[in-house]
Amino acid sequence: MSGHHISSAKFLWGIGIALFFLTFVTVAVTWIQIPEPWNIVVAIGIAVVKALLVVLFFMNLYWDSKFNSLLFIFSLIFFGLMIGITLLDTLFRNDPTPLF
Amino acid sequence: MATSEASTTYKKIQVRRYKPEENPEKNYLNEEKGLWAWLTTVDHKKIGLMYLASIAFFFLVGGILALILRTELWTPARSFLDADLYNQVFTLHGAIMVFFFLVPSVPTVLGNFVLPLQLGAKDVAFPRLNLASFYIYLIGALFTLTAILTGGVDTGWTFYTPYSATTGGNVIMMTLGVFILGFSSILTGVNFIVTIHKLRSPGMTWAKLPLNLWALYATSIIQILATPVLAITLLLLTMERALGIGIFDPALGGDPVLYQHFFWFYSHPAVYIMIVPGFGIISEVVSTFSKKIIFGYWAIALSSLAIAFIGFLVWGHHMFTAGQSSLANLVFSFLTFMVGIPTGIKIFNWVATMYKGSIDMKTPMVYVMIFLFLFMIGGFTGIMVGALSVDIHLHDTYYVVAHFHYVMVGGMVMAFLGGIHYWWPKMFGKMYSELWAKIAAGILFIGFNMTFLPQFIMGSQGMPRRYFNYLEQFQPFHQTSTVGAYLMGTGFLIVAIYLTYSLFKGKKAGPNPWGSRALEWQTASPPPLHNFEHIPVIINGPYDYHKPMSEFQLGVASKHNGHHAEETVDVPESAQEKA
Amino acid sequence: MSSTSATEEKRLDHVQHHFVDSEQQFESAKMGMWVFIVTEILMFGGLFVAYIVYRSWYPELYLEASTQLNAFWGMVNTFVLIGSSLTVAMAIRSAQLNQIKGLIYNLYITIGLAFTFMVIKYFEYSEKLGKGIAPGEYYTYDGLEHEKANIFFSIYYMMTGLHGVHVTIGIGLMIWLVVKAKKNVFHSEYYTPVEITGLYWHLVDIIWIFLFPLLYLID
Repeated sequence: MSGHHISSAKFLWGIGIALFFLTFVTVAVTWIQIPEPWNIVVAIGIAVVKALLVVLFFMNLYWDSKFNSLLFIFSLIFFGLMIGITLLDTLFRNDPTPLF
Repeated sequence: MATSEASTTYKKIQVRRYKPEENPEKNYLNEEKGLWAWLTTVDHKKIGLMYLASIAFFFLVGGILALILRTELWTPARSFLDADLYNQVFTLHGAIMVFFFLVPSVPTVLGNFVLPLQLGAKDVAFPRLNLASFYIYLIGALFTLTAILTGGVDTGWTFYTPYSATTGGNVIMMTLGVFILGFSSILTGVNFIVTIHKLRSPGMTWAKLPLNLWALYATSIIQILATPVLAITLLLLTMERALGIGIFDPALGGDPVLYQHFFWFYSHPAVYIMIVPGFGIISEVVSTFSKKIIFGYWAIALSSLAIAFIGFLVWGHHMFTAGQSSLANLVFSFLTFMVGIPTGIKIFNWVATMYKGSIDMKTPMVYVMIFLFLFMIGGFTGIMVGALSVDIHLHDTYYVVAHFHYVMVGGMVMAFLGGIHYWWPKMFGKMYSELWAKIAAGILFIGFNMTFLPQFIMGSQGMPRRYFNYLEQFQPFHQTSTVGAYLMGTGFLIVAIYLTYSLFKGKKAGPNPWGSRALEWQTASPPPLHNFEHIPVIINGPYDYHKPMSEFQLGVASKHNGHHAEETVDVPESAQEKA
Repeated sequence: MSSTSATEEKRLDHVQHHFVDSEQQFESAKMGMWVFIVTEILMFGGLFVAYIVYRSWYPELYLEASTQLNAFWGMVNTFVLIGSSLTVAMAIRSAQLNQIKGLIYNLYITIGLAFTFMVIKYFEYSEKLGKGIAPGEYYTYDGLEHEKANIFFSIYYMMTGLHGVHVTIGIGLMIWLVVKAKKNVFHSEYYTPVEITGLYWHLVDIIWIFLFPLLYLID
């Protein structure tokens, strides 16, 4: 529960450079035309890694109270519920009855 | 957090007993005087009272609109409103009652007033934010009133697209008003969550948290998770009208059912924002007036959280006939049934608390009985409209209207009235007339059932909602309903009169007129500006009626009071609090 | 709040009456901000739902319409925002170490980067609006064949617009921080507003991290 973690300047720059590098990678992979579903997976995957770096080390969640992490995770779960359940409708509009 | 129960560490605190003062000279009402001091106060109690005034005003407006509707429905044909005006009146009745009364009422009035008292804190975590959220509420209200005066809104409180994107009137102003109001709701939620986590007095562990606070905690969680989605929905709707962005408008290539998903992702959990704090009040009142420890503490506490969670999974049951996929219909109908489980658990535990208790039928307890009776009807009819096949028949009929009012008025408003009557002596230090209070409760009960029972019958026979005229066969039902509505109006008027009267002529209430063990009663009535003259120390649960009163009035012994009898108690150390 | 003497008094005068100590106040404020971040995520979440639903319906629309977005300037803006996130983190570090000058310099750089972001955004918007790529009804561009191209750009404008509003609010907050820092309000025991604003700014950054590949890099 140390709310006052002080990162070294070197460490912060390291994270920053990693983020710059990943941004470059995510643009570079579009040049090599990955086939259909995988290009989205790669793009989102890189974005998730970048977001995690920011959340854990810039926002200090790695050293912070566990409850704050819990809050963050909960927001993602509820976003997942919102999109997941909405897709239950929008993806299956044309089926007259469910498959089972 | 909850894990601190497993490995409890104890620490010793020097305590002594602080008996609450009978007749304090100074309290939060007279310490700072003048209008300016009220308008700029950061005291949670005063903010609660300012909310009470504004909410009472909106309840009055919404109530008058309801009476206008009921009067128009006295005859099958047109009486005195034309169809357009009728549409505007029911829209405003719904929107005002939902967004300006039901959603904020219990958290902002009773929550603000009672929450820090029950925690033993001096204030909420962010007092200035609390005041800000009050003013944001007022600004939202101002927008809405402007919308009414500059063209009105006739979309129904749900603002369904594409109608809301194309109809006349001032929809933008109205949606912006509700949008702003959402921020008020969010800020209150943020404040409550942090306060409950961080500002507990020594010994107030999660297992000793009053159930009212568990309910408010669950409510705040719903508020912060659902309200932002309402904000974005209304923003999109506003843009739809202003710029024609077309995401929800089929004429521009959009999908109106998507709007309903967005809207109900907020608005279904929102009905739990309305009712769950009511559950909290009921838990407090049942235990106090049965003079008995609450039955199933953890069952009640956790079922609040369960309702909060499941409430997010069921929004599609509002859209069974809207054209969503049949797979979604099926899943939503199934999930809807699950909400009944935690609700049933609660009702069972309240009744079990009363069992073999020494029940004292004071007014708050009368309201609990009314609540239990009416809310059960509301809940069971909810299961019926949640069933897919039945709902196809009942959708958009008076049956749904009656169900909603049984849950909201019969459940939430009755719980709110119970809470007001329960904490009134604490708020103002005055007792109201017990006789008149019971008479009014009786009138409300009879009036309510007269109003809404006939609507179940009409609805099942096919009377659609939101129509200003109807077939002649429904006239007796509508007329009974109208008479009942006026009876209810009378009941609310009596409540307002004797409560106001009690402020000036009421008997003085002691610090603890009900003999409760809960912490908010262990300080003077009305409480001092900073709630307690000492730092309270908690060693028993809030419902431990088998323990002597003296054990509930402990506080940290301050150094200059050394001549009093002191003793040392072991207090479990919570994760956050250091005394 | 501000006092020039560095006495013990000054170290504690930021603690409000209802908190036990500075630590409790700091932790409360931070938790409050995290709760607020939850609301922000769900608010943007609504827009992401709209994005995902329409993408699942019309994948070819997204492929076609995103060619109108300039991936190069999107990438530059991503670099700019990540850089500003880094300087905010450095600003907090300066405050923690009592280096008020460093704090102010880092905030200045952050404000500068945020402005750069908005200026680039402005040129992107005006280039599109000039071509007739306006949201919804006002869409007049005929270079795209898909009949729902207007919907894609409605979503684009809503997402980047709301994000832009957040950036603007962030600039305001940073300026407020600079003013306070110049009045010598912050020190290693009290830098709560810097920390809180930092959390907010990182969130704005994270949202852009997702917006960039989802809008600019579809092909």
